[in-house]
Amino acid sequence: MTPLAQQIAQQQADAVVLGPHGRSLMRGDLQAVGVAPHIGPDTRIAIRLSDPLDVIRALTALDGQVAAILLLSHALPPKTAVALARAADCTILVQDDVAETRDGVAVMMIDDMLGSERRSEPLATAWLMTTSGTTGLPKIVPHTLRTLSRSVSRFAGATAPIWGLLYDPTRFAGLQVVLQALIGGGQLIAVDTAKTLADQVSMMAENGCTHLSATPTLWRRLLMVPDYAKLPLRQITLGGEIADQPTLNALRAGFPDARLSHIYASTEVGVGFSVTDGLAGLPSSYLDKAPGNVRLDIRSGILWLRPPLTALQPGLPGIEIDNEGYICSGDQVEVSNDRILFLGRASGLMNIGGVKVYPEAVEAVVKTVPGVALVQVSAKRSPVTGALVLAEIQLDAGADQTETRLLIIKTCRASLEREAVPAIIRFVDGFKTNAAGKLMRTKG
Amino acid sequence: MSQLENDIRKVFAEVWALEVGTDVPALLPDTILLETGLDSLGFAIFVSSLDEALGFDPFTLAEDAYYPQTFDEFVAFYKRYQPKT
Repeated sequence: MTPLAQQIAQQQADAVVLGPHGRSLMRGDLQAVGVAPHIGPDTRIAIRLSDPLDVIRALTALDGQVAAILLLSHALPPKTAVALARAADCTILVQDDVAETRDGVAVMMIDDMLGSERRSEPLATAWLMTTSGTTGLPKIVPHTLRTLSRSVSRFAGATAPIWGLLYDPTRFAGLQVVLQALIGGGQLIAVDTAKTLADQVSMMAENGCTHLSATPTLWRRLLMVPDYAKLPLRQITLGGEIADQPTLNALRAGFPDARLSHIYASTEVGVGFSVTDGLAGLPSSYLDKAPGNVRLDIRSGILWLRPPLTALQPGLPGIEIDNEGYICSGDQVEVSNDRILFLGRASGLMNIGGVKVYPEAVEAVVKTVPGVALVQVSAKRSPVTGALVLAEIQLDAGADQTETRLLIIKTCRASLEREAVPAIIRFVDGFKTNAAGKLMRTKG
Repeated sequence: MSQLENDIRKVFAEVWALEVGTDVPALLPDTILLETGLDSLGFAIFVSSLDEALGFDPFTLAEDAYYPQTFDEFVAFYKRYQPKT
């Protein structure tokens, strides 16, 4: 596989990336970037950088030069970042601040790692991604530039797209946008996600953003920005959550000239495929057709996928893969009226505006609150974020509802992500239990 | 001010107190909802809390998806889908 830097060098556009604070990266900047002499070919290096332009500089410098790159979100706590770096056998962690050695990992800033060295024989660098999740350490999933850029479309000349980047570029969805722009012949506008959405929309509109990918939750929010229609969009992409029909309809009405696609993808499987007919779910013909050469199978109501290329091998912890190369997506589906419709995660995993939350993790925290006798956590449908966390509580005799409610929120906030804190708390007199005496989990 | 608008303001203030915690911003007819400072999650909680308090959710009832931008539009949207008593 041609290294990323060389693939960028083959592009036509001069200004490749526009970033926050008026920064930009030109094609020449990225071509020239290499690594410092102390970065040897066996180096495994983790990056955790907040500016998307730095992420892009680091990836361009490292691909083909080192054994492995571990992409970490800057939003991860420092301790988690070091733990993940160690788990991936990385000896270097590149981040925004402080140079020091933590638990055997050398922490340095990006300029300590960059230099002018480029190997004449590029290495097959492993790209290690992490999955999101609210409990325990995120899973590390191995990829290569080839598996990650498999679905990149090539553009040239006047039709070259200008992509808006609203996602974290170290996460799967964001990296897809970055690679599409860098090697697909387009430009990238990386907005400052610390600014308001209205400011982000106006930066993208001023710079002529034609292609934009976001979660359904973010699209619904974007439709509430008064000037959203100033975005000269030709391509609208939805991913990361189930795309529902009302949101697809609203986007169709808001951007009548844009092509509308929703992506089905998972970090485990690598890449997925898109649906462009404006209807929720997948056409059931995909079961025979293998969209994007990904084969589909439904086993006991769960979707399994076989991508044409994968860096995964059977036996990886937490990933179910059979001998034929089919990977369990964990997504529950039903076939109805020639559509494969998504019902949610088999594990009960909730998706709150793109953030994954396990009900058991929330229950474990709520159970510790004095006054709570029993708790059941489930997803309540939300027209804004797809789902919200609903906690149903049976109180101990004599416990006060108002006090307990506040205590539950306080306790959950101290140890859970904001999305995982129960948004709705209902008090109930009792729960149904199954034959084994366990609380019955029901869908909200 | 209608009873419905009163209820909406009351729930907004409750959600604001819990999610943001600062002084509740003034809600004028032309206040842009996105600029109040409630993020997606906060807004989702606001809409869900209204559903719990009022017993209906126009975002779910409406056949065509609609995203009100101002507070005035938001109240009018709820008025349109308020069950007739």
